[in-house]
Amino acid sequence: MLIRPDAGDFRLILLYTARVVYGVGLAMIVPTVVAMAFGERMDAWSFVLAASLAIGIGKLAEMGLRTRRPLNTSHALASVASSWLVVPLFGALPLVLSGHYVSYLDAYFEAMSGFATIGLTLANDLDHMSRSINLWRHLMQFIGGQGIVVIVLTAFSSGAARLGTLYSGEGREDVILPNIVRTARFIWRVALVYGVIGTGVLWAALIAAGLGVGEALYHGVNLFMAAFDTGGFSTQSSSVAFYRSQLVESVLLVIMTAGAFSFALHYQLWQGRRRELLANTETRTVFLSTLLLLAIASLGLARTETFTGFFEMYRHTLFQVVSAHTTTGLATVPGRLFVTDWGALAPASIVAAMAIGGMAGSTAGGIKGIRLGVVLKGLKADVRRVLLPENAVVMETYHAGVRKIVQGPQVRDAALLLLLWLGLYLVGALVGLFYGYPLELSLFESTAAASSGGLSIGIVRPDLETPLKLVYIAQMMVGRLEFIAVFALIGYAVSVVRGKV
Amino acid sequence: MNEEYRPTRRRVVALWVLVALAGVAGLVGLGEALRHDHPAAGAQTPELTEEIDPLREDVPCELPAGREGAERPVVVAAPELPQMVTSNELYDCPSTWDGRRVRYVGEVVGAVLERRDGAWVQLNDDVYADGVGPLPTHRDFRGGNAGVGVRLTRDQAARIDNVGGATQRGDLLEVVAEFRRVDPETAEVAILHVETMRILRRGEPFEIPEAPGRAAVAMVAAAGALAIVVIERRRRER
Repeated sequence: MLIRPDAGDFRLILLYTARVVYGVGLAMIVPTVVAMAFGERMDAWSFVLAASLAIGIGKLAEMGLRTRRPLNTSHALASVASSWLVVPLFGALPLVLSGHYVSYLDAYFEAMSGFATIGLTLANDLDHMSRSINLWRHLMQFIGGQGIVVIVLTAFSSGAARLGTLYSGEGREDVILPNIVRTARFIWRVALVYGVIGTGVLWAALIAAGLGVGEALYHGVNLFMAAFDTGGFSTQSSSVAFYRSQLVESVLLVIMTAGAFSFALHYQLWQGRRRELLANTETRTVFLSTLLLLAIASLGLARTETFTGFFEMYRHTLFQVVSAHTTTGLATVPGRLFVTDWGALAPASIVAAMAIGGMAGSTAGGIKGIRLGVVLKGLKADVRRVLLPENAVVMETYHAGVRKIVQGPQVRDAALLLLLWLGLYLVGALVGLFYGYPLELSLFESTAAASSGGLSIGIVRPDLETPLKLVYIAQMMVGRLEFIAVFALIGYAVSVVRGKV
Repeated sequence: MNEEYRPTRRRVVALWVLVALAGVAGLVGLGEALRHDHPAAGAQTPELTEEIDPLREDVPCELPAGREGAERPVVVAAPELPQMVTSNELYDCPSTWDGRRVRYVGEVVGAVLERRDGAWVQLNDDVYADGVGPLPTHRDFRGGNAGVGVRLTRDQAARIDNVGGATQRGDLLEVVAEFRRVDPETAEVAILHVETMRILRRGEPFEIPEAPGRAAVAMVAAAGALAIVVIERRRRER
């Protein structure tokens, strides 16, 4: 029986949502300063307005909704989902005021794509976009990639013990350190250390590619955020192809891969346990699937004779497969060529790579390596059970920090999530088919939106049909939060309507 | 649920949903009201200093399946002549155009990337380059950018003065170039290797239109937010 929620339940959900809105308002100070520095007066006012609204509403809610009531799991999950619905509304305001978006819906799509680290864009004339607005697009990816709730965790560290479910509700599984606030701070530390090193190396690579020192720094900062947070936006419409540099691509390959590692794995490496990299079941699964999909894509491209030389093929195929597998979405090849010049097998590999995605507890999206690994191990155990004598004890193990036995419920949960993911990919594809797009294009774009893959073959564009925009927005959010938080929010809505007193 | 369980009345929830929707509508309305004040006739694109010869001969190219029910555009090609092409035509039929000399017109955007043995530029041939002009100088939204990567000699690159960006229109170039589906020299994909280049129009800075009221509303909002923050802090300290 459904029980109708208490007024205090909504109070808590709204309070935590408002805190996240407040945090994002504070983050807008960064592009405000950049806009002022570059003399982008109109954009500076846009950021002042959006930040003021977010901060004002956040604090107003803090005054009106403060409560001593503890946060339980369902509150936390619903708060996460409502935060992810509301925050892009504020993030979209400077975008729509920039004059590069047709409507508020398009700007909301862009903001959701940013926060959810998708990388699909509805921007018009990106190549003439102001620096501060472009920085804000990338900063949204950084904030969203790290987890907008992590902002709350670090900004409002009091009562942190109750905030663990907020963290897991945002698609994170591992609480790396015993204290949730310390875990959140560790995530920031990892991002900042990688940020300093990665931006520095990218800066040098971009100078070598021919950019001026100042320009290279601006591009480097943005590229780092797009790559490490597996976001996929870029400052130029031609994405990474703009730089025409193998050095830049090589650096980005490393950063994208680091971004797709779980923070738990980063912690192990941080502690000097380098063997974990090879022993970890999820790393091995992602590595093997990358190799397999790379081989399939290469085979397809060899058949279509798209490339004449091995090096050219290897360079672009490796970048695209890794970009797709880490669900980043940066590209060295114009998206249209996937349709007109890459045959069928190579784009199919890219779709599969986006669908699988990176590691659980990372900034990457998709099904995640560990779930695929656990399901495959469960399948292997079942096959062994059939082949071995009936009284034989069959046991499979996996490695995630320590060696663990694969349990039946774990396999069931992983298989269930795998099914949910496939369903999510299918929904967008079906709506695309309804609007007359071919199956392969619909599936490609739907997978890109849901898995946060972000590569596009051209369906996502400013004149995209409005219902499809809405479906992709929903896919982006559900995919980023990995279902449960969204189900919790829907559950609250249903309880209000159908719940008994 | 605890002992002090006070079930929410549906009417109250409906009221709050309406308030939230009104908030969203207010935000959307604010976004619309504070947009740039655009000139009624849209952006003015300057005249070209040199004319483009629109030479074309029709050689159809087989396109992959497009959107169901949509007409397939016909791409044209003239093997022996460096005829005008667009970036979309090149990407639609890369194998048809591979190795052919073409003429292409586009705006330099982003940067000129000079290397030891040449230079790279991105030439955009969308409507923002030579049509309605760059955003946000108007509200004639025509989608994303379209363009091709172009390889020049360093001497050719040195003739480029203006690069398109946030407040700048780039030089509009016409290049006669060989289209390379995959460039064996640089391993780049779908690029133009330039033979000759001429500048059709010099780029120039463009003005971002004013947005009346945006500054005033932003200041009021900032003052309001500051007041709320101060009041909240004082109440918390009490």
